[in-house]
Amino acid sequence: MKRLLAGALLAAADLCGACEPALEGAPLARIDSPRHVLAFRTEPARIAVGEHFALLVAACRKDDGRPPPELRVDAHMPAHRHGMNYAASVRPLAPGRWRAEGLLFHMPGDWEFLFDLRGDGPTERLSYPYRLE
Amino acid sequence: MISRSLLALLCVAAPAAAELLPFTDAEVRRILSHGPWPMAWMPDPSNRVSGNAAAIALGRELFFEPRLSGDGSVRCASCHIEARAWQDGRATAAAFAPLERNTPSVHNVRFNRWFGWDGAQDNLWAQSIRPLLDPREMRSNATRVARLLREDAALRARYEAAFGAAPPDDDEAVLVDAAKALAAFQETLVTGRTPFDEFRDALARGDRDAAARYPLAAQRGLRIFIGKGNCSVCHFGPNFTNGEFADVGVPFFVARGAVDSGRHGGIRALKASRYNLLSRWNDDPIRSTAAKTRHVVAQHRNFGEFRVPSLRNVALTAPYMHNGRLATLHDVVRHYSEIDLDRLHTDGERILQPLHLDAREIDDLVAFLESLSEARAP
Repeated sequence: MKRLLAGALLAAADLCGACEPALEGAPLARIDSPRHVLAFRTEPARIAVGEHFALLVAACRKDDGRPPPELRVDAHMPAHRHGMNYAASVRPLAPGRWRAEGLLFHMPGDWEFLFDLRGDGPTERLSYPYRLE
Repeated sequence: MISRSLLALLCVAAPAAAELLPFTDAEVRRILSHGPWPMAWMPDPSNRVSGNAAAIALGRELFFEPRLSGDGSVRCASCHIEARAWQDGRATAAAFAPLERNTPSVHNVRFNRWFGWDGAQDNLWAQSIRPLLDPREMRSNATRVARLLREDAALRARYEAAFGAAPPDDDEAVLVDAAKALAAFQETLVTGRTPFDEFRDALARGDRDAAARYPLAAQRGLRIFIGKGNCSVCHFGPNFTNGEFADVGVPFFVARGAVDSGRHGGIRALKASRYNLLSRWNDDPIRSTAAKTRHVVAQHRNFGEFRVPSLRNVALTAPYMHNGRLATLHDVVRHYSEIDLDRLHTDGERILQPLHLDAREIDDLVAFLESLSEARAP
C-alpha cells in the first residue's frame, strides 16, 4: 500500500512538473533551454522581406511546468550587427502564451529570433536562427 | 552568286549571336524575385478615395494647379515634371527657396512603405500635404486650399464627384481631402515594363532564346548586382527596394555646422505628425496599415540613413542620392565600388565593402541599371 501511494505521488509530481508549451497550431520551432521550453510560430506562416508579421509564443519552466511571467521578443542579423527597425510589442494571451506584433525583416539573410524569459530568477535568453531568402 | 565583298558585308552586319550566361539555380531564384512587374495594385485603406476615378481626375487637376501655392506660381508639377519621369533633374530642389534634398520621382509611390528621403510620412496623402505647407516649397495653408476648392466652380464640382458632398466648412478637412485626391492621382503613376522584365519573365518560363536577347553586358552586370555587389540585399524585390533606410556613405553635411540627420529626424517628425496613420485623418477604422507607425523606433544608427530608392526608371532620374551629389550612374557605381568605409556611421551595416570593380564591370553594372528603365520617348 505504501509502495502504491509513493508511485501515485511520483506520477502526480511528474504531471505537475511536465513542461509542454501550449502553442496553438504547428510550431515553427521548439527551443529547449536549461530552464525553459519555448515553442513559437509566425503569422503569416511564411515571412517575406519587408512585410510585417506576428509571433505566437508559448513557454513553460522545466522545473515545475509553470509559465514564466514575462516575455520579450526581438530579432537581429548577427553578421551585420544590426537588429530590426521596429520594436515588437508583446501581449499576453493566457498564462504562458503571448502574441508579439510589429516584427519586420527588412533584408534577406541570416536572422536570429531572440526570446527573453523573465521570472523570479535571472532572465534567460533563448535564440533561434532563421534564414530568410 | 554572292560576291566576296557582299559576303564580307553580310558577315559584318550580322548581329552577334545571342548568348545566355550560365546562371546557377540560386542566381535564377534571385533574379526571379525581382518580378513579376507590374506588382499587384491595391487601394490604400487609409484613403477613402484611393482608386476612385473621380478623385484621380481631381488629383491630376490639383497636381498641375498653381493656385494651390502661396503666390499662385508653383505647382506640384513644377518639381515633379512629367517629361522628366516626375522629378526635376536638379541636384537639390528649389521652389520659393532652395532645399537640401533631391526631388524624388513620384513613379511607383503607391508601393512605398515610407515617404520622403527620411520617411517622415507614413502615407501618401500626408506626404502630399507636406510640400503644400512648407514655406520653401508651395508656401500654402489649409485656408487657401479650402477656399480654392469651395470657390472655383469646376474644382468644387470635381470635389463633389470624388467625395460625394460639397467641401466641408473645416479648412483642415478640405486640405486633407485635397491631399487624398493628390495621392489617388499619384498612385496611378506606375512605371512600365523594361528589358529586364522581359528577361526575367523569359527565365521564369524557361524560354532561353528570349532570355538570350537580353544584352550580355546587362547579364554580367545583373550577376554582380545579385552577387558580389550585394546590391539586391537592399534593392530587393520587384520594385528594387526593401522600403527601408540605409547609410551608404554619402556625406550628410548640408552647410557649415549643419547636418541632415536623415531617418533619425524622420522618425521624430513622423511621431509628431498630426497626419500620420495613427491620427484621426486615417480613413481606415481598424488602422490596418499603421503597424509600422506603432512599432518603428528611433535608433542611434538611423543618423545619416536615407530611404533606399526604387531603381525602376533609374536611368531617367539623374542626378542621384538623397542630395543629388552624383551626376551619372557611372558615378553611383564608382561610389559603391570605392566606398569609403570611414564615412559610414560607426554602427553602419557591414554589407557595403569596396568592390574595386574594373572598368568593364562598372560598364556592365551600368548596363544592367539602364535595363531597369522604360525606353525613352522619341
